[in-house]
Amino acid sequence: MTTVRLTVNGVQREIDVAPGTLLVHAIREQVGLTGTHVGCLTGDCGACTVVVDGATTKSCSVLAHSADGATVETVESLADGEELHPVQRAFWDEFGFQCGFCLPGMLLTAKELIESTPDPDDADIHRAINGNLCRCTGYNTIVAAVRRAAKEAS
Amino acid sequence: MSAPARSGIGASPRKRDGAELLTGRARFLDDHRPEGLLHAAVVRSEIAHGRIRSVDTTAASAAPGVVLVLTGEQAARHAGPVPYFIDPAARGGNRTDIRCLQVDKVVYAGQPVAAVVAHTREQAQAAARLVRVDHEVLPHVLDAHDALAPDAPRLYDDWPGNVVMHNRYGTGDPDARLAEADVVVSGEVRIARSTTAPIEPRGYLASWQGDTLTMHASCQNPHQLRWMLATALGVDEGHIRVVTAKIGGSFGLKMQGYPEETLVALLSKLAGAPVKWVEDRRETLLAGAREQTHRFRVGALADGRITGLVNEIVADIGALTAQAGWAMPNMSATTQPSGYRIPDCRIELDIVVTNKPPNSAARGFGKDAAHLVMERAMDLVARELGLDPADVRRRNFVPAGEFPYRTSTGLNIDSGDFHGLLDKTLDTVDYPGVRRRQAELREHGRYLGVGLGFELTPESSDSPGTFVSGFDTTTVRMSVTGMVTVLTGVTSPGGGNDTGIAQIVADELGIPLAWVELVQGDTDRCPNGFGNFSGRSMVVGGGSATLAARDVRAKLVAVGRLLLGAGEVEVRAGMVCGDGRELPVPEVARALLTRAFAIGDIEPVLESTRAYKPGNINHVPDEFGRIQPYPTYSSSLHAAVVDVDAETGKVTLLDYVMAHDCGTMINPALVEGQARGAVAMGLGSALSEQLRFDADGRLLSDRFKSYLVPRAGDLPLLRMVHQVTPSPFTMHGNKGAGEAGVGGAQAAVANAVEDALAPFGVTVRSLPLTPPAVLALIDEVRP
Amino acid sequence: MRFTRPPDLDGVTTALAGGDALVVGGGTMVVPELTHGRVDPPAVVDLSHAGLDGLTRAGGWVVGAMVTYTALERADVPLLSRVARGITGGPQIRNRGTAGGSASYANPSSDVPACLVALDARLRLASVRGVREVAAAEFFLGAFRTVREPDEVLTEILLSDVDGKIGYLKFKLVEGSWPIVTAATVARPTAVRVVLGGAAAVPVAVELDPPPAGTTDPAWRAHVASVVERGIDEAGGGWDDVLAPGGYRRRIAPVIAARSVADALGEVTA
Repeated sequence: MTTVRLTVNGVQREIDVAPGTLLVHAIREQVGLTGTHVGCLTGDCGACTVVVDGATTKSCSVLAHSADGATVETVESLADGEELHPVQRAFWDEFGFQCGFCLPGMLLTAKELIESTPDPDDADIHRAINGNLCRCTGYNTIVAAVRRAAKEAS
Repeated sequence: MSAPARSGIGASPRKRDGAELLTGRARFLDDHRPEGLLHAAVVRSEIAHGRIRSVDTTAASAAPGVVLVLTGEQAARHAGPVPYFIDPAARGGNRTDIRCLQVDKVVYAGQPVAAVVAHTREQAQAAARLVRVDHEVLPHVLDAHDALAPDAPRLYDDWPGNVVMHNRYGTGDPDARLAEADVVVSGEVRIARSTTAPIEPRGYLASWQGDTLTMHASCQNPHQLRWMLATALGVDEGHIRVVTAKIGGSFGLKMQGYPEETLVALLSKLAGAPVKWVEDRRETLLAGAREQTHRFRVGALADGRITGLVNEIVADIGALTAQAGWAMPNMSATTQPSGYRIPDCRIELDIVVTNKPPNSAARGFGKDAAHLVMERAMDLVARELGLDPADVRRRNFVPAGEFPYRTSTGLNIDSGDFHGLLDKTLDTVDYPGVRRRQAELREHGRYLGVGLGFELTPESSDSPGTFVSGFDTTTVRMSVTGMVTVLTGVTSPGGGNDTGIAQIVADELGIPLAWVELVQGDTDRCPNGFGNFSGRSMVVGGGSATLAARDVRAKLVAVGRLLLGAGEVEVRAGMVCGDGRELPVPEVARALLTRAFAIGDIEPVLESTRAYKPGNINHVPDEFGRIQPYPTYSSSLHAAVVDVDAETGKVTLLDYVMAHDCGTMINPALVEGQARGAVAMGLGSALSEQLRFDADGRLLSDRFKSYLVPRAGDLPLLRMVHQVTPSPFTMHGNKGAGEAGVGGAQAAVANAVEDALAPFGVTVRSLPLTPPAVLALIDEVRP
Repeated sequence: MRFTRPPDLDGVTTALAGGDALVVGGGTMVVPELTHGRVDPPAVVDLSHAGLDGLTRAGGWVVGAMVTYTALERADVPLLSRVARGITGGPQIRNRGTAGGSASYANPSSDVPACLVALDARLRLASVRGVREVAAAEFFLGAFRTVREPDEVLTEILLSDVDGKIGYLKFKLVEGSWPIVTAATVARPTAVRVVLGGAAAVPVAVELDPPPAGTTDPAWRAHVASVVERGIDEAGGGWDDVLAPGGYRRRIAPVIAARSVADALGEVTA
């Protein structure tokens, strides 16, 4: 066991992790934030997406040790109390999810996109969320949600 | 009836679980971590077929953190066979005992043979890799046609062969029709093995308090799971509580009947602690969804009318399973000839086992394959006769005035307007415009194609004597504060029927949607029910909720009459109104429940539990032995426009239209969500998804880089057009809306690719149409 | 398993000196391998603090081994910036994955190795024994095999300026698949060089005649087919995996090559 220091959603945490522990498991099990999901553990589905030092990252492909000292934001950081983030509101209004399992990845990736690309077209949106699998929606409503979120943010 | 309120039937309020899902607060199965939790890993067979000589657990038992290692022999001392969801023996087929861990034989690579419980998941997985299984390797068979050979290796020693059952469907004399037809067209459809692959894998968490088991499960059918666990473990049902957590997608895969359900419950009992098991992605991808071959012949008259159909189906279900998946090919047979008026049909079905993992239930439930066959047949007839494929369909559809219509296979289609769907689709996709563009592009060596696919989707099945039930039960309970709790036997794996049922209840009671709470997936709280499958939740969950809500409303009205002293009383927008006066519903509720004796002769209960059985189901076999297991039949017409790169074989979807008719829509946005999801799944299986095995039967496509489900950039806007032809047999005229799209999408794509490549003269015979497969089609006909 | 994250390159080479450690860069390839028990090294060396993330314009370009695809996307490195934009897996992968990592991993179904060969890149390897530079064309030995010794680490990719027109094409089955065949072209007036990725176990470099009558000219296409097929055969034949058989890759490689040349020459495709 080694101690790893993380700042998660603004709170400094010290956690003890075994060698080989993945960041996603550290976040879910040591930090106790279960909004970040495990769907494949191969970096393919995107359900484990978090923001590490300002950049979206698939937390199943990062060792917890490698994140020592990092700032991590999870899906739980998006809302301000009961006040949803514009991206969350847009996904809700546009039916951009069904089961919701892929949401952490979709929301955080969408947020990163519209922060760098205020007026994304469909190709921008596809390129941004191509690393996130959704099996429920066929993606159309997700694309619409990202578009709406971008519009409301600008 | 008044116009629908913004949140009532026909409106599209947002999903009620949005806030918890969007903020990460929702708790899925793996998010539950009770005190003292242990973790399980399953040791799976590495060979496709063999006898187990011994299982050596020495090294695993000594590994760090290990609490318990269980072999099949040990498990068999504590648990009986897992009972079938649908027992093949009850349908005259062959069966075998399904065990939570195999005892003496394995019949597929991936079959559970032992299990490890340890303090952490990593410890359990590491120890599982140390279990050594000594086998006598037996010859295996991976292809259903090979499995039919008399000298093929046999999976189950006491069976005469590898056939679970052979069935024949249809009426009339198709051979005579074919003999007298102007043309006879024959074709073949091979559907490769795909899978549903929900993003959340399957998982279970079992804990015992004394002799009482609580099982959290990522599962669609809590009550059936409770019965199965009770049967396998020899525990009274009253001592088992099943709670289905938030479910991260399901699509049939999470119907119960898996070995791991009994296994996890048993491991927890033996370990004396809560035990959780969540499968990894490789394990999720073991479960197949469909794999079958159809050889068909149709006879047609010169005007395109089809007079007879003969179809031989060989379905490869992998190994037999207690899950419902093995039975899907039956529906491939009975769903033919779909919505076409072809009275003379014969469909022969062989359901065959092979040394591959079992097929699990999957959205479409075999019905999808029927459409691929019928729609290929339509296009082949059109091609043979030089007719437009749209016209051939128009000539063969059951006309709107002929419903209810009984098909050759016995299905009694409730209602529909298939010509209307065709018109809407052709109009929306601009069929003449696409044909013009196609001609222009061909001049430049580019291959555009348009394909149609009609789908008739029988929904809300009832299979007599099984837990495939065509009714369900709901309790509506109003508290003293006027708030309403709805407890229902149907579950929501994500599609949003909780929102739809709440809409119905709010509408029926005349109260705001926000006053309604839903409880689903808890066998201790909800009335006995059957969960989610077959597009049933809004039909029977919604129907039973309606009946129960009407009972409660009637009580409010009765009390309101007394309190208001009015003759005519109604409830709307949370107020009981009569004679120009009104009282808030909570006040009326409080009056009844706190002043019962003052109120007088009204039974002081604001609660009702009702079951709803839709019409049109008929289990009395007719003169041909046909039963009628479905109340409702949704219908849809799909058009896919594709570009085919003739140099690489790559198919690009340019446009997609689905004209959809599921009767009354309770929440149109949720209906569209279901339809788009099903279409996306159909498109995936049509173009890229395929489970592949090596020559030894080991799964090769074991991650999302090798099992290719559609990503955002793969799909165009899936355009939706609605037609509403209410069902006369359901409460609100609504029909199932959970499955329509898989088969229509497959068919539309298959036809579009063949249409695009018409200048080459290719014939599509298999799915998926991956670039290598499409290029092979072109090569086949290239001089 | 020992985990170290050295603060500089010396620390990295020291940690690797035993020759038994696994190098983790962005982690997108090797961490899942660790998770699923496909590799089980006694030690892991994390490069992220070793100062290898420099991206500098110096005559050509020096691309540190830890420069992410996202950093490449935002820069204007010939070909590599364009490749970076098309990396599969979403921004989360591009935010962590590196061209250096892709080169070191040497997955035949990756387009970075072939692009580095097309750019005549040199790869700098460091160990406690010293530093050496290897031409990209000599770096890749086979599927998942390079000349990198177990105690070495790739530190930089060195690129000279390109004096020809660049073209690039990546063919995937669908968005989620590994590349099936990629083609990077450097076209000069007298010679056209195309390097194919995914087609064989290692990048396949071929020299083509410039197309005298456009890239769709059947005679030139026949020339491309014969040269490309010969190149693939000499590299051991078409790469065969669960996504596509070798025969398919060999079959479409000339098409992808020709389209890449069209891209380099600025031909407008239909």
